[in-house]
Amino acid sequence: MKSFYTILRYEIFALFISPSTYVAAFYFLSLLAIGFRFFIETFSNTDWLLPPLSSLVVGLLFGSPALIPFITMRCFAEERRLGTLETLFSAPVSSWTLVLGKWFGCFVFFLIISTLALCYPLLLIIMFPEQGSNLGFNEIENWIGSTLYLLIFGATFIAIGVFSSSITKNQMVAGMLTFTLLTAYLSIMVFSFGNQTSNTYYTISQKLSDGLFGTYINGLDKFGQFSVGLIDLSTILNQLVLTIFFLILSTIQIERLNN
Amino acid sequence: MSAENKPLPIIEVVNLKKSFGRIQALKGVSFSIGKGEIVGFLGPNGAGKSTTLRILSGLIPADAGEAKVCGVDLAQEEGLVRNHIGYLPENNPLPEDLRVIEYLRFRALLKGLEGSRLKERIKVVLDICDLERKISERKIGNLSKGYRQRVGIADSLLAEPRLVILDEPTIGLDPHQSAVTRKMMERLRGEVSFLLSSHILSEVEACCDRMIILSHGQIVAEGSLYELQKRFVNKTIFQIDASGNKIDIQKRIRSIDRTCELIQDDPVEVSGKRRYNFSTEQGEQIAERIIRTLLEEKNIRISGFQIRRPDLETIFLRATKKNWEKHDFLNRNKI
Repeated sequence: MKSFYTILRYEIFALFISPSTYVAAFYFLSLLAIGFRFFIETFSNTDWLLPPLSSLVVGLLFGSPALIPFITMRCFAEERRLGTLETLFSAPVSSWTLVLGKWFGCFVFFLIISTLALCYPLLLIIMFPEQGSNLGFNEIENWIGSTLYLLIFGATFIAIGVFSSSITKNQMVAGMLTFTLLTAYLSIMVFSFGNQTSNTYYTISQKLSDGLFGTYINGLDKFGQFSVGLIDLSTILNQLVLTIFFLILSTIQIERLNN
Repeated sequence: MSAENKPLPIIEVVNLKKSFGRIQALKGVSFSIGKGEIVGFLGPNGAGKSTTLRILSGLIPADAGEAKVCGVDLAQEEGLVRNHIGYLPENNPLPEDLRVIEYLRFRALLKGLEGSRLKERIKVVLDICDLERKISERKIGNLSKGYRQRVGIADSLLAEPRLVILDEPTIGLDPHQSAVTRKMMERLRGEVSFLLSSHILSEVEACCDRMIILSHGQIVAEGSLYELQKRFVNKTIFQIDASGNKIDIQKRIRSIDRTCELIQDDPVEVSGKRRYNFSTEQGEQIAERIIRTLLEEKNIRISGFQIRRPDLETIFLRATKKNWEKHDFLNRNKI
C-alpha cells in the first residue's frame, strides 16, 4: 500500500511537471468552455431533452480522445524508453502496484480537469443564480448522476490509455493508439445509441445479458438515466470490469517485459 | 573457523540455468559470495553476466537451479530479496525530469524508508557518493555521465543493503570518476558485499577480492588474482633492465635455468637501458640465483629486475579462449 502511494505521488508529480499535460488541459478546457457557453446561450432553441449539465459531461466524454492520450501516453512508454522500468522493479514493488499507482495518478489528473470543467456551471449559478436555477443547475441529483457517469467512463478510458502506453516505447504511438481505441469505443456507443428495445419484450436471458454486458455498447442510452440522477448499477459494474480488464492486460504486459 | 561457525554466504548459487528462446544464457552456474566480499564478475559480451545479476536481483526468474540471496530463496520469495539488496542496472537508466534529491527521496520511499531515517540515509549516501548539495539540486537530465552514475550508486545504497549488485558501474567513466566509485567500495569494504560486473579489467583487479570469469553461460575460472595467475599462467616472467650484450645475458641465464627463454627478440629501449623479458618454468624461486649470477658478470650492468605477474587481461583471455572456440552464436557446443 505504501509503495502504491509513493508511485501515485510520483506519477502526479511527473504529470504536473510535464508541459504537454498543461498544454492539453488548457486547450481542452478552453474549447469546452466555448462549447458550453454556446450551448447554454442556444439551449432554448435546441431539442435537447436532458438537463443542460449533461451537455458538459457529453463534451468531456467525447473530448476525452483528445485529452486522455496526453495524460496517459508517457506513463509506461517513457519508462520503457528510458529503461527506468527495470530500476523501478529493483525496489520492492509489484507490477500490479505499479500499474495501479500509475492508473490512479492519471485518473487523479483527469479528476482535476473534470472538476475544473464542472466549475463552469457552478460559476454560472454563482454569477447568474436565476438563470442557473431555470436551467436546472441547482438540482443535486443531476450533478451526482452526471459526475458518477463521467467518473466511471473516465476510469475506463484512463485504463485503456495506460494499456496503450504499456505496449510501446514510443509516446506518440501510445497516444495515437489511445486516441484510436477511445474513438472506436465512442463510435460503437454512438452507433448503438437508441437501439435498445423496451425491457418488456425481453426474455430473461436477454435481460441478464443486457444487465451484464449491455452497457458496453449501450452506454450512451444509460446516460439518459444517469443525467437525471438514476444510477444504473450494471453500467457501473460493467465499466469497472472493463477498467480492471485493461489494468490486468497492462500488468501482464509489464510482467512480460520484465521477463 | 569451523564449518558450523562459518557465516552464511550472502549469495549461494547452485546450478543456475536460464534460456531465452533457443539461446542458453546460463548453463548451470554455481558460486557463492561471503559477507563483506567484493567480487568481480567478468566475461565477454553475451557471457551471461547481466542475466545472472538480474536473476540475483529478483528481476527475472531462473529456469532451473537454486539461488539464495541474503538467506532468501529466489524460487520461493523472489520479490522479498529486493528488500536486502541494492542494484545498479547496466546503463543506469534514470528519469531525466527529476532533481537528484527528488529522485533519491522517491526511491527511498519505495524502499520503505520514512521520516528521519529517510533524511539521514539520503544525507549519508550523498556523502558516500560525493554528491555535494549543489549537484543534488540539479535535474538528472543535466548531469554528466559520471554524476549520473554516482546517483545510481547512491540509490543502490539507500536502504542499507547487505549486498550491492553493480552491473558495469564504471562503463564510460573517466579515470577520476572510476576512482570515486572505487573509493566508495573501499569505504564500505567489510560492511557490504559487492558483486560487480565489468569489462574494465584493471578496475576489477584493483578493487576486487575475488573474480568469477564467465563464458558462454558457464564459469570458466574463479578465485583471487593470485590463484588465477597460478592456474592460468604456468610460466614466471622476469623483466631485466640491463646494458650489455643480449647473447651474453641469455647465455648466463640459461646456464642457471635451462627453461628460461627470451620472450621478444629485440629488447625495448628504456632510458638508455635495454629491457629484456624472460619466461621460466622454474617459478619465482630462481630469481635470486639469476640476479646474483648477472651481478657477478663484469660486462653486464643491471639497473632493474622485476618479477612480472600476468595481469587480469592475460588471465581473462586464456580462461575464455578455450570456451569461446567451443561454442556457436546460440551458445551451443560446436560439434
